[in-house]
Amino acid sequence: MSISLRHIDKAFNQMVIYRDFSMNIPDKRISCILGPSGCGKTSLLNMIGGILPQDHGSIEGAKEKQFSFIFHEPRLLPWKSIRKNLELVLDNQPIANKNQLIDRYLRVVGLEHFADYYPGQLSGGMKQRVAIARAFSYPSDTILMDEPLQTLDPRLKWNLMKTFLKIWNKDKRTVVFVTHDVDEALVLGEEIFVFSQPPVQIKHQFTNTLSEQDKNNENQKFFDLKNSIINILD
Amino acid sequence: MKISSSKNRGYTLLSILFLLGTWKVASMLIGSELILPAPEQTALSVGELFLEQDFIRIVSATIVRGLLGFAISFLLAIILGTWAGISAPFHAFLQPILVTIRSTPVISLILLALIWFDVGQVPVFIAILTMFPFICTNIAEGIRNLDPKLIVMARIYRVPTRRILKDIYLPGISPFIFSGVSSAMGFGWRAIIIGEVLSQPQYGIGTFMQNAQTYLLVDKVIAWTVIAIVLSYLFDQLIQLIEKYSLTWKYHQP
Repeated sequence: MSISLRHIDKAFNQMVIYRDFSMNIPDKRISCILGPSGCGKTSLLNMIGGILPQDHGSIEGAKEKQFSFIFHEPRLLPWKSIRKNLELVLDNQPIANKNQLIDRYLRVVGLEHFADYYPGQLSGGMKQRVAIARAFSYPSDTILMDEPLQTLDPRLKWNLMKTFLKIWNKDKRTVVFVTHDVDEALVLGEEIFVFSQPPVQIKHQFTNTLSEQDKNNENQKFFDLKNSIINILD
Repeated sequence: MKISSSKNRGYTLLSILFLLGTWKVASMLIGSELILPAPEQTALSVGELFLEQDFIRIVSATIVRGLLGFAISFLLAIILGTWAGISAPFHAFLQPILVTIRSTPVISLILLALIWFDVGQVPVFIAILTMFPFICTNIAEGIRNLDPKLIVMARIYRVPTRRILKDIYLPGISPFIFSGVSSAMGFGWRAIIIGEVLSQPQYGIGTFMQNAQTYLLVDKVIAWTVIAIVLSYLFDQLIQLIEKYSLTWKYHQP
């Protein structure tokens, strides 16, 4: 069952972010929410994930879902090794061989040799890779991503997006990816929702038809699409 | 953290030599053993203390008081400090009390304690009042400083509460606990000995320091002081050792 938001109202103090807002999140696809900073994208993820209550309206299909979350910052415990960090979220989960699972996902993100390192010994990009490995090793059906690439330099960012797609193609879960960066949206997003300033409305919604090869900054199609979206955003 | 290179170790040695040298020169200038004995004579007196029949008993009496005071302060601090860390109103309520305790001169507390308690209890009472505020404040600060984002992460990933306590709260506040314990111990030993000097329990470093002072045995007073310093130093080292062992991750920061 897909997740659908029905007639959501949400305000912070006097500031209305959502008023009678509805949207559908398709199953097993990467939905990308693209919008200006401060338009309440993070609040939307938090409401879907159940850590922020909406004022009115309902979110259907979310209760029975299990969520992974890739945050803006890695959110790793500095006092635990990478392996133990992953092990912590698997504690309550019915998984036969946790170590094997951890090893597998660390290998996919290219960190198999760092299992016994502490987060403080890794770079920002590596830590965000660990967060991705944590999200996929956790038996969730939905992955929520809150601008996890924003603090990385462009080369690392492209690398990490490729890694993410590689994993996701083998293990298709519902993904809600929030960003204000058009490049990120076009590379990762399948269904792209362009949000307005609050109170939020969906200004534009389309299915991303760019092929893997088209997804680079030198490609004409990519470039044209990017410009048309920037126009919509403004 | 405190990782002293061999170069710094040289300076440490130099500092000790400087202290001893100054002491030696001062004793030579004064020229009277009765007023200020030379370091080597004091070393002899320390040696004599070891041979004294009741030495172990005296020192262990002080240690037991210290540990008892510490245990009670620690327990109280865990309860009240955790509460203050979680609840802002209780923090606001506790703050003036802690400040008052910390600002009260130790000697006033002792004078009052002498009226209120048995002599044996006075140093323990003093130890509790001296150590408790340090540990309590640090535990509260530790909890207040804990990154709420980590807790949110754990909640989303449905980490069981017992593991959130054991694997996020506890390690998160341990550096604060250690620094609290370390300062508490430093002040605690001094307070206990002052307490013993004034309350005169049967055994205790302070008691014997006071006895020596009464008979103007300066070398003995200094010898007991050396014992007190060594005691405090050993406990400090012990705490550092435990800290180093349990906070391995701290030493893995770039």
